[in-house]
Amino acid sequence: MSGAPDLERRYRRVLRLLPGYYRRAWEQDMVAAFLESSLTGEPDQDAGIPEFSKLPWREVASVAGLALRLYLRGPGATRRSFAWGQAVRRAVLALSMLQAVRGLDTLLLTAWSRRVFGWLPAQPASLAAATPAGIVPPLVWWLVAYAWIVSFVALALGRYYRTAQVIAAVAIIPDLAWLLHGEFTRAFRGPSVGPWAFWVLLDLFPVLAMTAFRRVTPPATRWPWLLALAVTWLLVAVPLTAFQASGHPAWVPDTAGLYCALTAVACLAHAPRAWTRHAQGSGSSVWSLTLTLLGVEAGAYRVLSLTDYLRNPHQIRVDLAELLILVLAVALIVPDAARAQAAAPAAPRPQPGYPR
Amino acid sequence: MKPMTGQAFFVLSALADAPRHGYGIVREVAELSNGRVKLKIGGLYGVLERLAAEHLIEPDREEAHDGRLRRYYRLTRAGRHALAEEAELRAWTARVVRSRLGLPGAEGAG
Repeated sequence: MSGAPDLERRYRRVLRLLPGYYRRAWEQDMVAAFLESSLTGEPDQDAGIPEFSKLPWREVASVAGLALRLYLRGPGATRRSFAWGQAVRRAVLALSMLQAVRGLDTLLLTAWSRRVFGWLPAQPASLAAATPAGIVPPLVWWLVAYAWIVSFVALALGRYYRTAQVIAAVAIIPDLAWLLHGEFTRAFRGPSVGPWAFWVLLDLFPVLAMTAFRRVTPPATRWPWLLALAVTWLLVAVPLTAFQASGHPAWVPDTAGLYCALTAVACLAHAPRAWTRHAQGSGSSVWSLTLTLLGVEAGAYRVLSLTDYLRNPHQIRVDLAELLILVLAVALIVPDAARAQAAAPAAPRPQPGYPR
Repeated sequence: MKPMTGQAFFVLSALADAPRHGYGIVREVAELSNGRVKLKIGGLYGVLERLAAEHLIEPDREEAHDGRLRRYYRLTRAGRHALAEEAELRAWTARVVRSRLGLPGAEGAG
């Protein structure tokens, strides 16, 4: 830089106002653009500009303004908030997918009970697609099942975000009505913390968090998510249905237990990727952050729903074991989740050979 | 949806038809705005950094020019989508305003 023209030296001095992390990413580009913008296109005039031209105060002011904004925002704030936004969006997609799997299961069991699948044997009585008793008619529960599937597909397609949110918001109303009716008529035999926890954590939270989907956010990779819906139904809902049909309902965990188990399995499957050196600076950290968010929610749901089993010490022990497994699985990926702010690429890096 | 700033809209517009380097964007924005918007370099790179962080633009390539490397930027798919949405919104707003002012060319404005 010592041999650089005077104008360049002075401009670089002004750029020292910027935070170091920002200068490392953008300084060379800014200098090149500034020097080009200071030329007039007249060869005679331009010859003297690098040495004798004054540094325009408007350029100095624009750099000072940028520096102020960057210092107020803090280093990497954009990347950090982007990583959090991505993690929340993926967590919402995962929760919507679980709701959609439940919906798909409800609809298919109903179709089976109505003999829509003629080649299947008659549905065992234990598999009747029971809908909660109360003020909400069965037809509404089936519509809710449809609604979650439509909402999830709309999110996964990477468009119609507000439509997905409105549909999901309408879909959680019957659950709320059922809960309120149960409270007012004292239909719940014990504490009703578990059902309320389900409504708040698995119904309301995803609906509110769908606000994180905006038109300008990168759309989800649609086919993996749509495929995940089918695979999750096949690998989770079908075996659970088989347990019930074969007379082993005790093998089927409650919703909180299932949520804990699925999150723990996802964490364990992701852990090898999170621990490799390759993961640092890749998208792995955002997935770790996503799974950590889901783990915290699953853990909170498990703890709150323990009140459903206050008179069943064996079930409490099983639930605590599920919680312990979840905590251990999440602990494996938390260090990678902490790196999430570096995982979302923001500023392009200077390339080798770039003039210094 | 977070509203797009005027500078971000012009920078994305400058990249709509081809990748451009920093000074190329400054020139294109001046041309697109009929000389009304003259981006300062500090302002431009504040916008570029934000757009890159939001994955609306990305680096395209680097080319040597007068002993320096010019870094070119291009729109991402999300950037193209966001720009199209914003352009539509602005066009609609313009039609409504023209209609309210009783100017010609306001057909179809609600």
